[in-house]
Amino acid sequence: MTVLNQSVEGFRSISPAEFFYRNRQMAGFGNPTQSVYSAVRELVENSLDACEDAQRIPQIRIAIDNQSSDILSIKVADNGSGLPYQHVPEAFGRVLYGSKYDQKQKRGTFGLGVTMAVLYGQITTDSSVVVHTQNSSGPGRVYSLLIDVEENMPIIESEREQVRSDDGTTVTIKLRGDLKRARERVVEYIRLTTIASPHAVIELDFGGSEMIKVGGWSKRVPEVPIPSKPHPRSADLEILRRLITKSPSKKLHDFLVDSFQQVGSRTASRFLKFLGLDSSARIESLSRADISRLSTSLQRFDGFGRPDSRCLSPVGEEAFLLSVRSLFSPSWILYSKQKPSEWQGNPFFAEGVIALGSKFPNVDTPTLYRFTNKVPLLYDANDDVMTKIMRRLNWKRYGFSGPLPVALFMHFGSTKVPYRAAGKQSLAHMIEIETAVTGLIRTLGRALRKQAGRRDQSRRDARKMREFSEMFNIIAKYGPALAEAEPPSSTAHMVKTLFEVNTDV
Amino acid sequence: MSEHGPVDTLKAIGKRITEAIGEGRFPVVDLPNRATDNIEFDSKLNQFVLGSSRVKRDSSNLKHIRSFAQLTWVAYFAKQLLESDRTSSLRDLYYSSEAFGVRFNDQAESDRIITDLECLTGQPREAFGIFPEERSSIFGSVKLNYTVPGYEGREVDLTLSPDGFPIGRALMTAEPVETDAEMILAVESGGMFSRLIETKAWKRYQAILVQLGGQPPRSTRALMRRLHEAFGLPVFLFTDGDPWGMHIAQVVKSGSANAAHILGLTIPSANWIGVTPEDIREYSLPSEPMASADLKRLDELARDIRYEGPDWQNHIAEFRSLSRKAEQQAFSRYGMDFVVDTYLPDKLE
Repeated sequence: MTVLNQSVEGFRSISPAEFFYRNRQMAGFGNPTQSVYSAVRELVENSLDACEDAQRIPQIRIAIDNQSSDILSIKVADNGSGLPYQHVPEAFGRVLYGSKYDQKQKRGTFGLGVTMAVLYGQITTDSSVVVHTQNSSGPGRVYSLLIDVEENMPIIESEREQVRSDDGTTVTIKLRGDLKRARERVVEYIRLTTIASPHAVIELDFGGSEMIKVGGWSKRVPEVPIPSKPHPRSADLEILRRLITKSPSKKLHDFLVDSFQQVGSRTASRFLKFLGLDSSARIESLSRADISRLSTSLQRFDGFGRPDSRCLSPVGEEAFLLSVRSLFSPSWILYSKQKPSEWQGNPFFAEGVIALGSKFPNVDTPTLYRFTNKVPLLYDANDDVMTKIMRRLNWKRYGFSGPLPVALFMHFGSTKVPYRAAGKQSLAHMIEIETAVTGLIRTLGRALRKQAGRRDQSRRDARKMREFSEMFNIIAKYGPALAEAEPPSSTAHMVKTLFEVNTDV
Repeated sequence: MSEHGPVDTLKAIGKRITEAIGEGRFPVVDLPNRATDNIEFDSKLNQFVLGSSRVKRDSSNLKHIRSFAQLTWVAYFAKQLLESDRTSSLRDLYYSSEAFGVRFNDQAESDRIITDLECLTGQPREAFGIFPEERSSIFGSVKLNYTVPGYEGREVDLTLSPDGFPIGRALMTAEPVETDAEMILAVESGGMFSRLIETKAWKRYQAILVQLGGQPPRSTRALMRRLHEAFGLPVFLFTDGDPWGMHIAQVVKSGSANAAHILGLTIPSANWIGVTPEDIREYSLPSEPMASADLKRLDELARDIRYEGPDWQNHIAEFRSLSRKAEQQAFSRYGMDFVVDTYLPDKLE
């Protein structure tokens, strides 16, 4: 009984900020190494999204300084369009506040990542986040912000006008972290980021001790995905409630047509008739049970078209090949993609590159590089459905007669990525996704098998030529010795006429 | 080619190779085909000879290059041997190859390449100073003149060593001078050879004794043939009483398919005196039952063209019905000297 009493007494509501602080490992801030990486990642993702919206080539500068043995300052500056000033305090000082609720593929999700970094910095170093942003509306502003954890509200420590050389945003967070151990991860993350965002130029400065500059492989800014309304099959209760709150006085029929894609007037009428609901009823008049039934039916009704995939933004064949070539100089490379599909009403695609080259480890299965919505995933690979599928396949059937230096770059993109945890490090198991990823890996694997065959053949040819040459040299040496004549100067040209060895494969 | 000395023969091979490479062509050699279907029995010569089919070994062919290189090197090695008055065993040659960067998988492969050289030149490997490991011996009242360098013109009397003389390159190339002997008696085992020397049987029969030691090396066959031709001596062969012993005698007489590419080794008039199956029965020799391998060998020999004659077929039939075999030493049951005193005189009459 005492246990129950205690928990009853301890039961009270907590703010999202407090909840996430208590469960920070879920959001990727579980240890000092991962925290550095996660903070950099959240800031860089926001910067890349900002530049993409502004249709600019991202120029992102990251500076990480050791303030003392375990206190770091992380500064990320971009050339995006800057933030609307009125939103700055909430965007950085309130958990689950964000602008990214519309239905299109984005790197960051919604208002959790960057505020977690701010929160983590605040708790571990007792210091505020400094945001310097400037948009086209006028001279920049500098904010110094803290989070009121209990109330989940921003505390504005200071706010002043300060001109920035160009539009864009610079965020500086102080936090406790292990730079020595996080360093490699951060570098790896930055390098791989340029695989999925080949146009981005990223500079990384470790307190002046080391400067790394990567990216800029492509000069072309990717097209901005077209935002779309949610697909009815993605209408869970949460989305439905949010949509209802936006326009409570609409009639049910109009509400469906206006709020969702793939729902025209006829489809809406058919659906409502099927459901037995009054199409002219105002939605605010619906009972909780009605809304619940509406949500369930929207998700199950099979009369809606497939979700629009124009809200997706794959890297694309040309750019993907270009970036992998730029970073890994493979000797062979191939791109493939699956047709867009959907999981629970959310459109998604899977694209991938398989490459063979001496910069990859020589192992029994391909080295897997995972990307979701153009973000490289570095942690929790074992939980990821892509890893599981890759491991499940019998690679001996795809040309792995022995170890091969092969890498597989898999990119999954969707308006909603089903991560296994808030840390956004591994893709969850969804049957539709599994089917697409399996199909993609198999296609790439089959291409590899052919290439491995060509490679083996060319190695055999090269070996044959070497052996032949060795033997012919014996003839060219002892034949003349037998005749008491001078040996020929070289016979390589003769041997070459017999072979066509392609040494590039 | 064989009308020239072996060194010239080898040199000519080297010249052809060198010329081809000099002109940017891949050298080709042309060899008599040693495949079974190109081996035929020449009843006039009473030996196996190679037919007219020939094979090309083309150094531009991936399948030929290795054996072409090996052949070139073996020819070179042989020339070195001849020029430095050295000999080498087959085994020695196999091991020497490594030092020259030439690889053989095993000795069987290097032996095969040496046979290629024999085919190419028409001369036995012994002519190039390459000998098999085993040596047989000779003893008897015959004098020869050495021709090997350092011994040119020196005379050797083959009764001087009571153990007999091993037959190597020196004896193989020696010139027969004179003999008191009336016959050549070749025996299979070393024990019998010693017995015939010790009991002075050689004197009694006026015989040159040769120890064959299983299938005799070609140098032994060549020497026997030379003595046979030089002095007109008949040749008698005394082996174990089993299909294998009988076939030793047959090879001395008619040659083997393996050496079909070499002429001048056979002695068609040689006689097998025993141990015949009839001897086993007649002398009640201690014998053993034949093993299945022995019987299988009999079947093979029965179909062999060299055994076509009625006498041979008769021996084979007798062996089959007897189904037993006996060694030369079996005569010892009648005392140490029975062979010398009774059996051989009976047979050599």
